[in-house]
Amino acid sequence: MPVEPILETRALTKRFPGVVALDQVSFDLRPGEIHALCGENGAGKSTLIKTLSGIHPTGSYEGEILVNGSTANFRTIADAGNAGLAVIYQELALVNDLTVAENIFLGNEPTRFGLVDWDKIYRDASALLERFKLDIDPSARTGDLGTGIKQLVEIVKALSKNGRILILDEPTAALTEAEVAVLLEILRKLRDDGLTAIYISHKLDEVFAIADRITVLRDGKSITTLDAADSSPGEVIRHMVGRKIEDLFPKRESAPGEVLLSVKNLTVQNREGRELLHNISFDIHAGEVLGIGGLMGAGRTETLMHIFGAWGRRVSGTVELDGKTMASPSPRKAISNGLAMVTEDRKRYGLHLDQSIGFNLSLSSLASTFIDHNHEVERTGEIFRSLRVKAPSLETGVGTLSGGNQQKVVIGKALLTDPRIVFLDEPTRGIDVGAKIEVYEFINRLTEEGKAVVLVSSELPELIGMSDRIVMLAEGRVGGVFRRDEATQERLLAAAIRFHKDAVTTNPAHL
Amino acid sequence: MKTRDFSLLIALALLWSFFTWQVPDFLSARNMTMLSIELSTTAVAALGMLLIILLAHIDLSVGSAIGLTGGIAATLVFNHQWAAPAAMGVSLLAGVTVYFVMGFIIAKERIPAFIITLGGLLILKGLFWMVIGNQTVPVKAGGEENMLSVLTTWYLPLWAGIALVTLALAVLAFALIRSRAKRRGYGFEVESGELAFSKLFIKAQVLILALVVLSQFRGVPLSLVVLAAVALVIWVITSHTRFGRYLYAIGGNEEAAVVSGVPVRAVTIGAFMIAGATATITGFMQTAYSGASTTTTGELMELDAIAACVIGGASLAGGRGSVPGVLAGAFLIASLMNGMTLMAVSPEMKFIARGSVLALAVWMDVRLSRRGG
Repeated sequence: MPVEPILETRALTKRFPGVVALDQVSFDLRPGEIHALCGENGAGKSTLIKTLSGIHPTGSYEGEILVNGSTANFRTIADAGNAGLAVIYQELALVNDLTVAENIFLGNEPTRFGLVDWDKIYRDASALLERFKLDIDPSARTGDLGTGIKQLVEIVKALSKNGRILILDEPTAALTEAEVAVLLEILRKLRDDGLTAIYISHKLDEVFAIADRITVLRDGKSITTLDAADSSPGEVIRHMVGRKIEDLFPKRESAPGEVLLSVKNLTVQNREGRELLHNISFDIHAGEVLGIGGLMGAGRTETLMHIFGAWGRRVSGTVELDGKTMASPSPRKAISNGLAMVTEDRKRYGLHLDQSIGFNLSLSSLASTFIDHNHEVERTGEIFRSLRVKAPSLETGVGTLSGGNQQKVVIGKALLTDPRIVFLDEPTRGIDVGAKIEVYEFINRLTEEGKAVVLVSSELPELIGMSDRIVMLAEGRVGGVFRRDEATQERLLAAAIRFHKDAVTTNPAHL
Repeated sequence: MKTRDFSLLIALALLWSFFTWQVPDFLSARNMTMLSIELSTTAVAALGMLLIILLAHIDLSVGSAIGLTGGIAATLVFNHQWAAPAAMGVSLLAGVTVYFVMGFIIAKERIPAFIITLGGLLILKGLFWMVIGNQTVPVKAGGEENMLSVLTTWYLPLWAGIALVTLALAVLAFALIRSRAKRRGYGFEVESGELAFSKLFIKAQVLILALVVLSQFRGVPLSLVVLAAVALVIWVITSHTRFGRYLYAIGGNEEAAVVSGVPVRAVTIGAFMIAGATATITGFMQTAYSGASTTTTGELMELDAIAACVIGGASLAGGRGSVPGVLAGAFLIASLMNGMTLMAVSPEMKFIARGSVLALAVWMDVRLSRRGG
């Protein structure tokens, strides 16, 4: 006997210029269940959440969203909130300097005679925390709590606003294992009290520990919905990757040479003293493309940025260039040592958006104290043309360019430093297919010149298609190293989740 | 021409018309000479401020630094009978050192410049008053002119003025011809000869007009020559050096600058040291202009300097601003102050006018930045 779904999508399709992010997605949520959404990066999970929660308003998508059987037309996030949907994002929206109770009622403070009724806030907060059987002091300063506890406060806050459907987007990304266990335990208890939730996670062990049903998304389509009890992580992975690699990647002969850069046993902390990279080692050869993969938060960007001298405090380990240890790294020294970095977040780390293309291109390679403008125009003009940046002139503001052309400017800036090793962090994210192929061709050109390329990518087909070797990172560790001919999506994915308990290891021989 | 440049020209024209209408003497050779001296002090301070504003920092201490450096020089000359050049050398060293310390703290400890230079404003003022012992210290010992006192009292003789303007024009023409030849050498497009010539012609006319007007009083003031030299140096730094490029890069997007290999700390400290030098030069001129160092020398000049930068199109968010813009902004501020003095506007009204202009300029900066212009 089918249960009436509390939330349902019918043939939901959401298009962005050039991409179909959601393609006829059908999904239903039964009251009292925890329903997991699985899929690779870019499979459409976030778009689905944004559409359900009113960030993509009604009219911007095709198909239907139904709440309790009737069509919902959310124009704003508030509309979705009023219908009982509460989204909890990875980045917590709590104010550290306020108390737990203040945070729970932030923006929603009960008043008496126009003044905030503090007694009621603390009374109600205590009652709520008690109801959820949480041992948290409502008058504690939120900043003093651990991340896991904060996550719970966030959940209580959402439920206090009459949230009936909780959407948890990667809730455990920043949690330690102990905190994860507590969170899952509490979610289970809440479910027994009637909570309905959508749970998004990369971590299949968590998914199988908590979810009643699992819906797999791939390329914007809802592939299947499985009962967790009758399924296995292996089956979910098969559905997640079940796609053949298109012939997008230009062929090339690779002839890796001697070791240029050798990373040995790197252990690195972030500014807050949390260890994010543990004992990472790998070599980079001349003329090869080394792929680095892993799930979000696995430490890919951090690894590159640390070697480049732009992130983190080293606890132990060395980086050797041509067999010699590189001392106290800074981006300036890294560049003079022949390293170049194309960052993932181009707007933040890659570009000066208010400045011209020429300004951006030459910034890393200004060699002399006085600038010879003609020489500069000649130098930058050459790379501007060879990368086929689509813009009227070097004087054009970078901020006005499309994503793909901005990316070419960042790449051009890196190339003008005449590097031997080029780090590319998600170089094809957010750019269209034509520009992607140009980036691939450009990678091949670099290796033909004997340069080494380190390619970080979330897209497994891209990693497999472009790399000679692939290092998979998992939880800040090396989860596996694969030659191109032994890399399959299943193996890479298994290596990426290797350090979770109950993780699937399809072929330990390669790890 | 951009909206911003255009509105600045209109504002200047309106201001000058108003003052001429109120006080016909405004356009007299004598007043124009006074205005050019006042412009020199405001503009030199503002040019140093530009480097700091480009970095998205701010310097609230420059008024006190002007007082302090002028005070050190005057005290050494008058109370200790030092030769003026030595006194000025020591003062310059002190000014640059003070700014090095502030720049170092701001760059190394990443404390907002607003706080450090606000502290600097008070500390330097305290040091200033200690140095001059809360007295009025004349810049001339025994009534004799010296290198410090002549800064605002000496004028170029006519032949020297003519020679200077001729030289300036020759350099401008030579630079134009050479740059066109070089561009052709690279195979780049060259602006039409007619257009280039008319631009040069306009510059020549402005220079000659200024020379003619100033010569009707006592000639080209030495302070204006000092301003021209400082402006030239700062212009070369901002538009023709790697250091200058880094200033724009840091102010525009510091994180991207770091990843691009820009040595943020060294550039920040360097910019502060140059600003220390311009503050000291302003200190000499401002003190010489009033004939003595007094407790109020330099007071509130930080606000005029900031206003000149913002009026001239520099963005307080950093990464945008130019030397010609700052000169134009300083010209507007100096004209306003000079005109109000001529009109015998009361001090309290002057404060209100100065404050309104500063607020108006920042408001326009915010408005224009939001439009992306």
